[in-house]
Amino acid sequence: MPAIEGVLIDTDVLVIGAGAGGLLAALSAKRHGPPGTRVTLVDSWLIGRTGHTAFSNAWKIVVAPDDDLDGILREIVAGNDGIADQVLVREVLASSYARLKDFESIGMKFAREEDGRYKRRPTRGLDLARVLYPEGGGLEFSWLLRRALEAEGVQLIDRLFVTGLLGGGGGRIAGAVGIHSRTGEFHAIKARATIVATNAITFRSGFVRDITGTGTLLAYRAGASLRNAEFSYVRPGTPKFYFEGITFAIQEGAHFVNAKGEAFMRAYEPEWADEADVPRIARAMALENEKGNVPLYLDMSAIPEELRDYFIQSKVKWMDYFFRKLGNEARTDMFGKTPYYALNQMTKMAIRTGADCRSDVPGLLAAGLAQAGCANHFAGFHIGLCVGNGWIAGRSAVEDLEALPPPRLDAGEIRALHAEATGPRDEAAKPESDLILRDLQAVMFAYNVGILKRGDRLETARRQVQALAARFEALAAPHTHELVRLKETEAMLLAARFILGASLMRTESRLSHFREDYDARDDAHWLVWVDIARGNDGPCFTTTPVPTPLCSVAPLTRRPSRLDAHSGAVPVSPVTGSGVDVPG
Amino acid sequence: MIENIDIAKCTGCGICDLVCPADVIHMEPAPHADEVPGLRQVGLLPVIKFREHCITCFSCEIFCPEQIVDVHPSVKNRPRPW
Repeated sequence: MPAIEGVLIDTDVLVIGAGAGGLLAALSAKRHGPPGTRVTLVDSWLIGRTGHTAFSNAWKIVVAPDDDLDGILREIVAGNDGIADQVLVREVLASSYARLKDFESIGMKFAREEDGRYKRRPTRGLDLARVLYPEGGGLEFSWLLRRALEAEGVQLIDRLFVTGLLGGGGGRIAGAVGIHSRTGEFHAIKARATIVATNAITFRSGFVRDITGTGTLLAYRAGASLRNAEFSYVRPGTPKFYFEGITFAIQEGAHFVNAKGEAFMRAYEPEWADEADVPRIARAMALENEKGNVPLYLDMSAIPEELRDYFIQSKVKWMDYFFRKLGNEARTDMFGKTPYYALNQMTKMAIRTGADCRSDVPGLLAAGLAQAGCANHFAGFHIGLCVGNGWIAGRSAVEDLEALPPPRLDAGEIRALHAEATGPRDEAAKPESDLILRDLQAVMFAYNVGILKRGDRLETARRQVQALAARFEALAAPHTHELVRLKETEAMLLAARFILGASLMRTESRLSHFREDYDARDDAHWLVWVDIARGNDGPCFTTTPVPTPLCSVAPLTRRPSRLDAHSGAVPVSPVTGSGVDVPG
Repeated sequence: MIENIDIAKCTGCGICDLVCPADVIHMEPAPHADEVPGLRQVGLLPVIKFREHCITCFSCEIFCPEQIVDVHPSVKNRPRPW
């Protein structure tokens, strides 16, 4: 047996992943823990400058004291077609204003009107909820949280790519192992509570926030169940540039049109039209493709000239650079007609937990999009949910410190995980994970597999993924960079298997899961989660009824559209918003 | 995708490497590393090591104190659903 070389770290609460969920989980654990509680946050790259959060607008739904909390809960549950943990979502919403105040206390600034009230915007697919946006977008949001964690004594470990969770033989999770994502040095972290907050799996759609989240699969291998694999975040995208702000653009008069010039969304979504949430836009786009009505476009020509610079000169720094460099080309493309299509950005597959963010495995918790609180997050509840469930996970982890038996390390297990973490290596090998990824993308991004599903096509895709997994077995990494990518690709292959399996199992249509051969929502049989657990012979798919303790899951009839109200002639100002303003 | 780092103006601070979320830029020994045999060169300069994996996030360009990194905004090889 070869000797192990590496680093051992001992901590109380280990948080894996530094997006909004992980940052908040670490902050929460530190603040809920008694003095001296050791909290360690690790990320594959630089904490505060990575994760989906850092490259987002960091919009978040915040429920102010005078808002209709239960009304917002009801519309989020309805917007999830019922697939939501109502208790968790309610607590996230109810605590969102307190978190806003926490953010302000560490120096974060949120956009305000001249009279001091917050600027609040409506968001797509929801009538009552309002989003707030921090100055500096996700980069500033994430960096200020990093600084706050440093100030409160949280141990930050950058560039640690986690490759496995420690079982320790004690019936509980005892920490994690990983490699330095540059040097490959092996690390083992012993922890009394471990929170996975590594986002959801992506297939590298090419969008700038193109970061894979492998922690959910590590949790699966360690005994946790996953759910929501059949749902996905498929958003409109363009091959020409990246654009954060479609939601606002539509509020200002943009709309999707097909090759015939028809504004097609009204035909598919009579109530919401272009303001529909992205799963419904994606489905409509795929059906337009079936009809031969492509290319499709986001026509922004109706946006008034005086508002156009708002979309060019973004408040998000990377977008500012992006559009400034594109110059006139961006202006021509954005406000002329640029082709759009629906592209899968990430699966919604995440770790099954209770409303306390504890998984089925003692000592293992989940936060961020690695936690399956919702199957749909609109624009503003991605980070909104991550902030809330991160806070809950940190609190629960602290409660577990005393409640669970102390973790033990098993040398044999660590040796096995070390071998797995540091291989397969072969300095003579060619880096070929990208070839597998390219072929996997071709399978999973195909609109008639990822958006318009049908049993026979899903079966065919499953066989294709199996063949790719067989090809993958022969690969080795010549260097650490490729080793990390190999492990990410391996996780994507496993995720694809789960996505296709869950999609085959759910014989109805709901949310982003649309089956041509079962094209109706069927609450009588399918108001359930499809859970995936590791069985003796591979993944085991079962169902769990979704409890509805707080509100109905029936679809809502929306209020008259804001777009109808002003008919595009009186635009909603991007700097004044149309929401209910509340005092700061 | 990252196009260029103007090495002639680079101070070797390493921020571009530090902030890259895709492991594209690596700090490596400067070309004059062997100037005095036996002395380990601590001065490093950035090398665009895995350009093909750049995610066009602009972090290297945004945070470079010397403003000598150039990222081109073009999007290439984006997968398509149809």
